[in-house]
Amino acid sequence: MAETFEPKIVAFVCNWCTYAGADLAGTSRTKYETNVRIIRFPCTGRIDFMLLIKAFQNGADGIIVSGCHPNDCHYTSGNFHARRRWMVFKSLLDFMGFPSDRITFSWVSAAEGKKWAELVNETTDSIRSKGPFTDYRTLDYTLLTQLENEGIAD
Amino acid sequence: MKELQIKAAELLENGTVNLLIGFCEDLGKRLVPCFIETAAEANILVFNQECKNNLSVYLHKKEVKDAVKIGLVANVATLRSVLQLLSENQLWSLTLTYLTVNGAGELVVLRSAEELEAYVQANFPTCRPEDQEMLDKLNAMSREERWAFWKDQLSECVKCYACRAVCPMCYCTVCTTECNQPQWIKTSAQTSGNFEYHTMRAMHLAGRCINCGECGRICPAGIPVHLLTAQMNQEMEQEFGGKTGWSLKGGYAMNTFKPGDKENFIK
Repeated sequence: MAETFEPKIVAFVCNWCTYAGADLAGTSRTKYETNVRIIRFPCTGRIDFMLLIKAFQNGADGIIVSGCHPNDCHYTSGNFHARRRWMVFKSLLDFMGFPSDRITFSWVSAAEGKKWAELVNETTDSIRSKGPFTDYRTLDYTLLTQLENEGIAD
Repeated sequence: MKELQIKAAELLENGTVNLLIGFCEDLGKRLVPCFIETAAEANILVFNQECKNNLSVYLHKKEVKDAVKIGLVANVATLRSVLQLLSENQLWSLTLTYLTVNGAGELVVLRSAEELEAYVQANFPTCRPEDQEMLDKLNAMSREERWAFWKDQLSECVKCYACRAVCPMCYCTVCTTECNQPQWIKTSAQTSGNFEYHTMRAMHLAGRCINCGECGRICPAGIPVHLLTAQMNQEMEQEFGGKTGWSLKGGYAMNTFKPGDKENFIK
């Protein structure tokens, strides 16, 4: 590979806490890794597990899922429901042998711009050291060809 | 057997039941589901250990629901799924009567949901030993080995969706598999789409699957898909307590939460 590997990270965040936290990081002029693509959701309870799979399918190397701290949910209980769902989803992925450590779950409040920047930096570092995520994309013939052309898969 | 036929005929005769779902032998001597509407037909009924189909899946069909008063010849796994369906408020329009054979070989007739609950709790099925063995084996593997195992297994899937059709808990009238805006599940036969489908199925059944094992039994490609839901079943039982298909007020573990749920995986 000619260029050095830069991971693509997709962040699924809630509108009320983490998105505002990321906004705070921006307005505070905090510098953090530019590998992250933020997708804003009304609530973590809205983040369907299929979206996470879809992100990996479309070439994400890592995923961040983040929302309000427990008891801080704008809709009272969205994050509590989400917490259960992630827990179950994570154990299912583990059972299927999917590298679930590529998904980072976190709580970031609207006041935690610094935590957000650190979270992105940490996740980017860890994914960078893990290398590109090809496991999932090699399951798909067309994507496999694409990876071969890029020289990532053999 | 004779006892079952007589009882079934009696129930149909006196109008307790309009439609009886049970098993009969087909021309090839296979045990297949049958639908009986008159007492005269009751003599074709057969019931033994080989009657494995989970007949509760038919209770969602409109043609069956129209009969209202329904009799079900069922093994304990099927009764457990009926109990789960009752707790999910799916069979409210039906009056159900259950015919089953207990461990001692005696015919048991259950006439109400409460009787059903008591019977299921007294005869609660455990995880089949061969499944438990397989689960232990998979859990002992490394992540890479498990990935290789499922990749190999799921590459065989042709997306016939038989596992969905046979599942009494898969009763949504519109399924994510048919949704194409966006296309959640790729329709072409490749492992990536199969992985999505089976992840989705296991997630949607987590905390609801009653572990009858029908999905694995009927898979034409021989994929042990029931292991996914069986594993989720055990994990959820461990984490949240409560068993699926145990009581009429079972609820759904994914539909609720506790403030103290585990969150050691969240940063």
